[in-house]
Amino acid sequence: MTIPVIEARNIVKSFGGVRAVDTVSVSVMPGEIHAVIGENGAGKSTLMRILAGVETPDSGSVLIDGTEIENSARDSIDAGISLVHQELSLIPEMTVAENIMLGTFPTAGGWTKSRKMKSIAAETLKEIGVEVDLDERISRLSVALRQFVEIARAVARKPKVLILDEPTATLTPAETDYLLTMLQRLASQGLAIIYISHRIPEVFKICNKVTILRDGKLVANDSIDNLTPDKVIDQMVGRELKLDLSQRRQAHELGEVVLDAKGIKAPKVNGIDLQVSRGQIVGLGGLVGAGRTELIRAIIGADPKSSGRVTITSGGKKRIITGYLSAIKAGVAYIPEERRTDGLALTMTVSENIFLPNRNQVAPSGIMPKGKIAAFAKELSEKVGLRPPEVTRDAGKYSGGNQQKIVIAKWLGRNPTFIVLDEPTRGVDVGAKAEIHKLVKELADNGTAVLVISSDLPELLELSDLIHVVRDGKIAGTLAGAEASEKSVMSLAAGEKLVGA
Amino acid sequence: MAKETFTQAMSVAPEPQDAKNEKQKTSFIAFIADKGIFVFTIVLVLTAVFFVDGFASLQNVTDVFHRAAPIGIVALGMTFVVITGNYLDLSVVAQAAAAGVILIAVSNAYNLIVAFAVAFVVAIVFGLVNGIAVGYFKANAVIVTLATTYIGLGLLRLLSGGSQVFGPADGPIATFGTSKLGPFPYSAVVLVVVTLILTFVLTKTNFGFMIRSFGTNSSATRLAGTNTGLIVIGAFLVTSMAAMFGGFVLAAFSNTAVSNMASGFDFEALAAIIVGGTSVFGGKGSVPRTLLGVVFVSILSNVLVLVQVSYGLQQVAIGSLIVLAVTVDALGRRVSKK
Repeated sequence: MTIPVIEARNIVKSFGGVRAVDTVSVSVMPGEIHAVIGENGAGKSTLMRILAGVETPDSGSVLIDGTEIENSARDSIDAGISLVHQELSLIPEMTVAENIMLGTFPTAGGWTKSRKMKSIAAETLKEIGVEVDLDERISRLSVALRQFVEIARAVARKPKVLILDEPTATLTPAETDYLLTMLQRLASQGLAIIYISHRIPEVFKICNKVTILRDGKLVANDSIDNLTPDKVIDQMVGRELKLDLSQRRQAHELGEVVLDAKGIKAPKVNGIDLQVSRGQIVGLGGLVGAGRTELIRAIIGADPKSSGRVTITSGGKKRIITGYLSAIKAGVAYIPEERRTDGLALTMTVSENIFLPNRNQVAPSGIMPKGKIAAFAKELSEKVGLRPPEVTRDAGKYSGGNQQKIVIAKWLGRNPTFIVLDEPTRGVDVGAKAEIHKLVKELADNGTAVLVISSDLPELLELSDLIHVVRDGKIAGTLAGAEASEKSVMSLAAGEKLVGA
Repeated sequence: MAKETFTQAMSVAPEPQDAKNEKQKTSFIAFIADKGIFVFTIVLVLTAVFFVDGFASLQNVTDVFHRAAPIGIVALGMTFVVITGNYLDLSVVAQAAAAGVILIAVSNAYNLIVAFAVAFVVAIVFGLVNGIAVGYFKANAVIVTLATTYIGLGLLRLLSGGSQVFGPADGPIATFGTSKLGPFPYSAVVLVVVTLILTFVLTKTNFGFMIRSFGTNSSATRLAGTNTGLIVIGAFLVTSMAAMFGGFVLAAFSNTAVSNMASGFDFEALAAIIVGGTSVFGGKGSVPRTLLGVVFVSILSNVLVLVQVSYGLQQVAIGSLIVLAVTVDALGRRVSKK
């Protein structure tokens, strides 16, 4: 009877009252590839950071070869745990060899022994079967090669456990296959691998065991042979169809097409067509990193697109969108994902924040009428239910939900023809969330074309008339009416074929 | 009704309890960063009045303002560039000198009106070049304006032959330089008028609002549908206009001008802005604050002269003051972020 090479016992970790990881236990045997899967925010990454000693758990313990270890990154590395981060942590200006040996430079009396460094790096690359010039700078490598160098760096430390967080997120199918084969080979040599992924097919291809997390809790821990892709998705989503259909938006007769985007290509966006009509709410579902934010930013010109054509039609007048300013002029309103950095000037007042996009309307002469601005801001603040509606208070003094209402208020003043909301209720309390949903529906009822990005599945289903699921920068499928469910969205997002279709 | 109060209570972000002790410590730094200049100016003036011989005379005080005027006017304008965030304009050294030399040389050759027109066009060109490079092409402001200083001074030396130009002793420029409105020299009057105009522009106009908004959060300002390049260009144009007037006033002092007449203006103007409490991180600051900074630095120099501190030590004192002011600015910012 072998003992697990790594074992987590009853790990608990909270962030500001929210239990990110709630009493989770996992163990991995040598030579095992163990998948950890779950929806966005299920607690996978936090759990892995605890295993790697980057994060300290509130309670619970981590054991290596049956011995409990102190929780620090250094101890974990010494104990043989290597974490390959989701975000690449290589230094672009340094060479491949230097990056592989980063933190473990072989030295003699303070001098780096570069020949030894190179020979170890070369050996490691050979071990994982990757050919790349050791003296090449990282900045000149493709994304895939960078990913492989990152793995080489982890392997160079001769770990017992290798943790990979979404390693295939940026890879092409061929590169993914190569990586998966590499991992299988490493596992066959006795390395324990913990593999975090959203992608169900990959999990079934290489993993022996699966741990499923949902809302920070362990919901399944089973051998892959006892599972099917369908079962896994059921467990990930978890909720029975308890969705309150009375909340769901009724189908409307569609008005004219307001947004017409064709062949949009941009970084992380691989050729997407998208239309939104007057009075329609279109939802964009998908996993974090699928390219949804990049898509809408390219469409409205907030970031440059490499190709594609976008028009906005309003009142029979068609305008071609050439850049962000032309989009705003055509009646686009954009409520960005990061409200604290992109949505609001936190140290300015509510009144000033609302005035910002409406200045030409409120102060056409170029001189600011103080009373008129305050009245204008007050009216909009009350309309969105800002509490308390004190327009002279700094925006940063309000809670997340109220801040989001201020962002919405500043755009309502322009009577937008097309409004984009990126994760409109992230970090927003339940009460404000319901109010924001109501506002969005009212906007559509009054004829605005609405596009919503949300990783919150019930929200996406409640709001949207039509849901496009984005995967790898493409629309993986479109769902409407009864066929839209948490499960069908998740299946498309995770790369599983549409269930029952 | 009960439900209303519940949400109201929840809607304001709660302050973490354990942060209270630290808050007292940090609120002192925040206070100094924000209001320090007012306290220090009062302390400095009172100290000077009671302990420094020769300070508290009308002659001395008007003299302080008279000499502070050229740099002060430049600093008031440069405040706009600083508020847009992380930018400053070093080329005021070349711009003020160009304005002074043009004022005297061109009015000698033609007349005053032509001199004003030429100086105006030169100022616009400076502002546009700096503004377009920094605002539109996102080039580093320090390097761009360092380079335009070089270009400007070089051209000025070429065209003026590097020699000093003199105005006629009874000309309008000389008259302006020595005239007074009541007890106040014209230069000090210009300083106050420029303060009033720029305060109005920064606080009461859409343009001024955009400057402040861009400095507070450039990303949110851009995403609200603003041509942010134009804002930065506008800020550099305001600075150029102020540098031009600063150069005029400086030339009128002695009725002469030369290409190196404004050397040190870049640093001294920045000193006044920072000491006044305008943040180098952008967003926070005002025109009257810069005036106060100018007053503070000028009185400090005056006091140091009166108590016969050597020029070298004066430089050390002013330099140390800037390091202190910028550090407090950075600390205050970190504190308010918490």
